[in-house]
Amino acid sequence: MATVETTAPGTPETEEQPQLAQTARVRPMKVDPDLEFIRALRRSGGESLKKCFQCGTCSASCPLSPDLHPFPRKEMAWALWGLKDQLMTDPDVWLCHHCNDCSTNCPRTGRPGDVLAAVREQSVQHYAFPRFLARWVTRPAFIPILLAIPAVLLGLAIRFRDGIGNALGFSPPAGEEIVYSFMPSLPHWLINCFFGFFGFLALVAAVIGIVRFSRGLRGSSVWGPDPQPVKGILSSLGSVVLKILVHDRFTQCETDHSRSISHFFVLFGFLSLALVTFWIITGPVNPLIGSDFIYPFSFWSPWKLLANVGGLAVLAGCLLMIWERLYFGHLAGTSSYFDWLLVWSIFLVVVTGFATEVLHYLRMVPHRQVIYFIHLVFVFSLLIYLPYSKLSHLLYRTTAMVMAERFGREAGEGAKP
Amino acid sequence: MTAAVEAAEVGYSVVLIEKEAFLGGRVIRSHKYFPKMCPPSCGFEINVRRIRSNPRITVHTLTTVEEITGSAGDFRVRLKTSPRYVTGNHSLDGSVIEQLSSERPDTFNMEIGTTGAVYYPHDSAWPPLHVVDREALSEADMLTLTEVAPPGSIDMGQTEEEFHLDAGAIIIATGWRPYDAAKLENLAFGQCPNVITNLMMERLAAPGGPTGGTILRPSDGEAPGNVAFVQCAGSRDENHLPYCSGVCCMASLKQARYLREQDEDAKITIFYIDIRTIGRLESFYHDLLEDENITFVKGKVAGISEDDGNNLILEVEDTIAGEKPTPQFDLVVLATGIVPNTADAPVPIELEYDDYGFIDGGTGVEGVHAAGCSRHPCDVSTATKEATAAALKAIQDLNR
Repeated sequence: MATVETTAPGTPETEEQPQLAQTARVRPMKVDPDLEFIRALRRSGGESLKKCFQCGTCSASCPLSPDLHPFPRKEMAWALWGLKDQLMTDPDVWLCHHCNDCSTNCPRTGRPGDVLAAVREQSVQHYAFPRFLARWVTRPAFIPILLAIPAVLLGLAIRFRDGIGNALGFSPPAGEEIVYSFMPSLPHWLINCFFGFFGFLALVAAVIGIVRFSRGLRGSSVWGPDPQPVKGILSSLGSVVLKILVHDRFTQCETDHSRSISHFFVLFGFLSLALVTFWIITGPVNPLIGSDFIYPFSFWSPWKLLANVGGLAVLAGCLLMIWERLYFGHLAGTSSYFDWLLVWSIFLVVVTGFATEVLHYLRMVPHRQVIYFIHLVFVFSLLIYLPYSKLSHLLYRTTAMVMAERFGREAGEGAKP
Repeated sequence: MTAAVEAAEVGYSVVLIEKEAFLGGRVIRSHKYFPKMCPPSCGFEINVRRIRSNPRITVHTLTTVEEITGSAGDFRVRLKTSPRYVTGNHSLDGSVIEQLSSERPDTFNMEIGTTGAVYYPHDSAWPPLHVVDREALSEADMLTLTEVAPPGSIDMGQTEEEFHLDAGAIIIATGWRPYDAAKLENLAFGQCPNVITNLMMERLAAPGGPTGGTILRPSDGEAPGNVAFVQCAGSRDENHLPYCSGVCCMASLKQARYLREQDEDAKITIFYIDIRTIGRLESFYHDLLEDENITFVKGKVAGISEDDGNNLILEVEDTIAGEKPTPQFDLVVLATGIVPNTADAPVPIELEYDDYGFIDGGTGVEGVHAAGCSRHPCDVSTATKEATAAALKAIQDLNR
């Protein structure tokens, strides 16, 4: 019987096996397993992988899975066979929002949701530039060096502040300018230049990763033989951004509904913080703000309120994530080091941020300066390691979703009882 | 039954204990055996004749084993018999039963419909006696019954009776029950009337069943033209029964033939993970592969919902095509697996069970042997062979 399933195109179907030959649309393929890839998947949360017996319950029960070439059953097959290339170019890996409807229904406790999360971690390592940074981000042993880099760079910036200022044409800090900053030795212009410069480097790295990823995606087999776009890139991007903002995908999950709530809080918290940051950076030059720009904001200024509410939202969402992952692992999925690193980084960023603010109001200046420095180290880490950490999902998942939107790869209309 | 007649026919005294009011258990509820497609009643009737004609066999129906003490060669068994209320001294006829209105779920027919509270278990029941379901019988009906029944035929004064017997060896053939389909929430059993189990299908197909042998769908009594079989409904599933029951594939293939014999246009789709028809049974499967009206789809059904007309929509991936179709059916049959009765009602003596309640291998107690589905999921022919083997082992114990 098995031979029928691998009937080559054009081979006449034999009279004896009409039924199987009719349904056998799978073409022969050479399987060249990447054993190291399988091991890597099993290390990063996909240890249940080998339990899969390909029954298809996962694809059938996934609310996000399209009707044609549904996921995650085929991804489980590719993972079992160590077909790294298939998985690296597969947009479906990123259409998955890890709600684990598949994992709770899986008759073999194969946890396809967790396996796809492990594939995504491998995917980031595969596409990221430079790759060694992506490897560091997945290994606890590299934590000291990952934190030392921003600390040393920030220290150097402070040490050579005047030299940098002279070279860039900024005048040495005058008395009144110190008010603008939480740390006299780190004036605003220096923070802006510092973060601007390294942010730009991270952006370049991110763009390289995403360009590589998009090229890979085009080669995926899920699009069919001759894919035709049904939408323009910009309109696809528009609908995807809207879907992300309203958490359209997350809210279709049945197993882990609280995931949509925690993510909603963290995302919108970050968006408000980003908006306030943008306002502050552009303050002196932004025509909308003009001469009224006064920094630091008073506690009751709308901007300060937005920042505080945003910070609290991130904190609440982040605590919910930690709580889910610690106590509801069977629903939230296996948490790998890669997952925890992001969750705890965000937690430390908000906690040190609020601590700085509190110390500021308490007028505990030396303590505030130390905590503020630590806060900047964490913020800097979040920013420069974005293309390598789990935070890169905002790049990869968005890219895959835009591509899927563009080529009409919609979630199936399959019956949901 | 087989173990009893085998031991008795070589000269040993046998006491056959049956929990139900009649002999035959799961087997007599089947419409046909696979692969020969013959009804179980003929083999059953031969066994009944062997029991009737053999004075060494004593049958206790409505009886359960309460306690077993002692050891090989010298067991003492405490038994409890529930009252039948029907004496058997005078026969009850239909005219008496017609005057009663109380009803009870038809347990013989897998609870498809009801029977009267005074009922005759099934056409070839042994012992050939009515049973009174005291709990289902209303007070008014009880009065009517005592008035109209022939004197001496009914004794409502019967009570539970306890008695003891001594035995040299014990054979456990406590059998099985289907996995409770109501636990398969995603498969909508109990919510959608046209989702039935494979055992219900046997009764629908059986001439003595609730539909007189015509397979009709429960919601509207129409003959189904388009039927799905859902294999591994709760089997090979860590959330339900982790093991394979080994017979459900053949049972579904057999039932597909019932449908094809009833209606030559009937369309059948079988959703499976693997078709497990081992040994010679494989050819039964190959024959069905030739049938253009039977489609095999590799993919486990993850959900069932129904439309306004009680037609069923399946949520499944066709894993060979790599597609998620949303096929519709008139009737869906869940191939539920085998749970040993010992899983929740162990024999009242310390025995060795596996994780699922089967007596795997030896029982761990000398002089006690198990056969059939109390040991492992199996088909009827395997169970009867094991019964013969268990009878031989029991005889060996008696001759040590």
